[in-house]
Parts: sequence; structure tokens; C-alpha cells
Amino acid sequence: MQKASPETSQDKGTRKKGRVDVTGLIDIVIALAVIVGAWQAFFWLDSRYLWLGPYSKVLFPSPMRTLDTFERLVRTGMLPTAVYTTGYRLVAGFALVMLLGVTVGIGMVRFRRFGKTMASFALGMQSFPSIAWVPFAMLIVGLSDYGVLFVIVMSSAFSVMHSTYSGLRNIPPIYMKAARSMGARRLSLLRGVMIPAATPSLITGMRQAWSFSWHAVIGAEVVMISLGGLGGILYFGEAFNAMDQVLACMITIFVIGFAVDRLIFFRLERRVRSKWGLAS
Amino acid sequence: MNLREYLRSIETKRILQINKLKKSYQTAKGNGRESLLVFDDISLDIGEGEFVTVIGPSGCGKTTLLNIIAGLEGYDSGEVIVTGHKVSSSGPDIVMIFQEDALFPWLNVKENVEFGLKQRGARKEERRKTAEQYIEMVGLTPFANAFVHQLSGGMKQRVAIARGLALNPKVLLMDEPFGALDATNREVLQRQIQEIHAQTKKTIIFVTHDVREAVCLGDRVVVFTHAPAQIRRQFVIDLPRPRTSEDPALRGVTNAVLRDLKGEREFAESEPGNIAG
Repeated sequence: MQKASPETSQDKGTRKKGRVDVTGLIDIVIALAVIVGAWQAFFWLDSRYLWLGPYSKVLFPSPMRTLDTFERLVRTGMLPTAVYTTGYRLVAGFALVMLLGVTVGIGMVRFRRFGKTMASFALGMQSFPSIAWVPFAMLIVGLSDYGVLFVIVMSSAFSVMHSTYSGLRNIPPIYMKAARSMGARRLSLLRGVMIPAATPSLITGMRQAWSFSWHAVIGAEVVMISLGGLGGILYFGEAFNAMDQVLACMITIFVIGFAVDRLIFFRLERRVRSKWGLAS
Repeated sequence: MNLREYLRSIETKRILQINKLKKSYQTAKGNGRESLLVFDDISLDIGEGEFVTVIGPSGCGKTTLLNIIAGLEGYDSGEVIVTGHKVSSSGPDIVMIFQEDALFPWLNVKENVEFGLKQRGARKEERRKTAEQYIEMVGLTPFANAFVHQLSGGMKQRVAIARGLALNPKVLLMDEPFGALDATNREVLQRQIQEIHAQTKKTIIFVTHDVREAVCLGDRVVVFTHAPAQIRRQFVIDLPRPRTSEDPALRGVTNAVLRDLKGEREFAESEPGNIAG
């Protein structure tokens, strides 16, 4: 009669939490070793046979040299400052995106005609490249943090709106019926049923918005170079032919984006999905 | 007891009155609108503590009737009165239990049972106590902290019953609650719902499409006709409980209901507990 006792599934839960996935970690180390190894091998062949000619030294730094540059960028405080600058823009922008996206998303469900129009518009806006907002933002909002925020919001808020809207609309009607039959009304229905029922899709939207915001902030900074940040380091690396600086910065961007997605959003999503019994 | 006497005995302890209820749906057809009559002029009185089963051909409006009683759907004319008050919107006086899995997957068993109490503003301690009491009643105490997806279909329906009972409703509506269960589970739940009924003396209106289930569970079986539905006939089942659907004593009435559903005019007057209305 019973599918699974709660005890066994609790065991599973603690195992997930307590132990690190060792094989997964080994796979990552192997993958990294292969990439760095290939890089080093290519560098070695290149410096021996001069495929890239006189440009080799600047255009193709060794992994070691890149690491040196990374260390220099950290020591001089350039990289930490840039990470901080980009970071607070991103966090502020993302908070604004969530607030705006969820609020408008709820409004879209509440006002049907608006919701229908907005949904197709929001879907269209999702494929609009965030960097195409940059000139507009510079002219209207100005070359400032607010300009960057504007680009972040325009690039990610629509996706949150759409996932909030579709998440709320796809709630099985039976949940609403059951809740109403038990006396839930308006606000308690929203808080007690609609929001939690839409949570898996809200988290997916949140995760996507995070990655959109991350794209947007770097894109904006590469163009709005006087504002600093990681994008600025990329731009000046290119301007001075400093591939080692470009690579060090790119790796930093990758690691931050990956780490936040894994450590925060992926974990959040997995927790909700396992609670609901959805395949993850 | 024959039906007339039975209905008279109910009059004094009436808890739910349905008077000349009419319901139709607006459907779009071609370039015009057409109104589809679900039922016209349904009248039914239900006594306090009664276990009434409703049976009829699929699509005859049984679920619609329950939705109206629960206040989840409107109606065209007539009235539905519960303990002297007209039903205007859904509320915890009348709670519905559905065929589909209607438990909330983001809550565990205990939190699900507490949901309605929370809506009503009950205190934490009171909620916990009530929830524990009803979870015990359906025999799921070891699973109080389990999540919904960890339960089998039968266990889910038991949680749904506990969740409904926790609100202490005047009337419990059940819309084919065991319809999606396998035979073994269904039998267990049929026994359990009878025990719960005996224990709590709740008024239950139970819709089913399974004749044996209707006869096994009901004090009274109400048979509906095809849409637009009318009450075709009622049967009083005056047999000792707890019953099982295999009970040979029920066979006669079961056959009578089956014949009636098939639209046969004549039925054996001699069958026990089977009295024409």
C-alpha cells in the first residue's frame, strides 16, 4: 500500500546534504586538467614552431603567465574592486528585476487582457539582445550605474514576468478549488496556494533571470568603459593587446557565474523539486 | 422502513435543502450561444448525520451538483439551504473531497491537514492538536511528516479526508473519492469511511459511478437520470454496518439500482430494502 516510508527518504536527504559528490568532483578535476593541459601543449607547440609569428607572445600567453597576471590583478586590487563594482550592480539589478517581474507577473494574471498582451510582448523581449539596450540606456539614463541597472532590468525582467505569469496560470485548478472549498480567499489564496504552487516555475525563472542579468551587466560594462567593473577590465585588456588580462578576467567571470548558479540557484531548485517529488 | 417513512424521519433533522435547483451552462456553438441544461428542478433534502450516495450516468451533473452545494459554482434558480442559511459562496461549513489528488505538494501531510484551520485563523497549538487527531483517525500517524509524493494513492485520499474532517464541516461532500484507486485500496477506504461516519456522525454526500459502492456506503442511494438530470429513484439501504461491497445481502438492491440505471421500468418490489419513491 505504501510507496516509500518517510524514513528512507529522510535518509536520502541527509546523504545528499552531508557528503560531497566525490565522483563529480573527480570528473571536474579531470576536465580542468585536460583543458589546461591542451592549452599548455598548444602554447608549447606554438612557441616552438611560431604559428602565430611575432604576435605569439601577446596573443597566446601560457597558463602560467595568465596565472601570474591574475595574481597581479588581485594584488594591485584591480580585480577585487572590479568584482565588487560589478557585483553590487548585479545584485541591485537582480533584486529590482525580481521585484518588478513578480509584481507585474501577478498583475498580468489579475488583469487578463493586459496579461495576454504583455505575455506575448515579454516572450518577444526575451530574445532581444541585452547589449542592444546599451546605447539607448546611455542616451536616456546616462553613463552611470543607473544606466547599467537599466540594461539589467530591461534584459531580465521580462523573463521573470513571463515565468511568474505562466507559473501562476498553470496551477492545477484542483488546488484552487480545494483551497476555496476550505475557505481560502483572495490574499490567503495568493499567499497560501498560488505563490507556493508556482514556486518551481518561479525558481526556474529566477535562475534564468540571474544568467540574463549576468550577461547584461558584463555587456554594458564592456561598452560603458568609464564605469569600471569586470567588463572594463576586458575592454582595456583588449585595448592594450593584453590577452593574459582578458583571459584572467574571462575565467573570473566564468567562475563567479558558475559558482552562484550552482551554489544558490541549482541547490534551491533541487530542494524544491525533491520536496515536490519532481524529477530533477 | 420504506422510503416515504424514511423521508419523513429526515424532515425533523434536515441539514441541507435543495429546492427546485436549475443549472445550465453557456456554450459557444456556431456563431451563436447555446445554453446547455444540466438539470432543472432538482429537489433533495438531506438529514443530519445521513450518508447519502448519489449515482447516475456519467455527465449527468452529479459533480456540478456537489460544486453548487460547496459554493464553488453558481446556479440559475432555486435554492440551496444549509442549516437555514442560503449557500452563497464556498466556506468551511461544507468541504469537498475530490477524485483527483488535491493535496498540496509543497506541504507535508500535517501541514496539509492544518491548511483549512490556518485559513480560519486557528492558533498553532490548536492546529497541531486537531491535525494530529484526524491524521490518527485515518491511521496515518507515522506519515505525519511525509511529503505528498511519498504517499500512495490510497494514503493521499485518506489525508484528503483528514484535511476535510479537520475543519469540522457540517456537510462533507465526496466526489468519486475512491474512483482512481485499485480494488484493494478501495475496499479498505470503504470500510474506513464507514467507521469515520459512525464515529463522527458527519453528514456525507458521496458521488460515485460504482453501483456496488453506492449501495455499500449509503443510508440512502439517489439515482440520477441522464442530463438534464432528474432524480429517478431513491433507495433506502437499511442494513447493518459496516458493510462490504461483497456483502450478499446487498446483491438484491445492487441489481435493482443497476436495472434502474439501465432504464428498465420494472424492478422487483420484493427485493429487501428497495422501495419505490
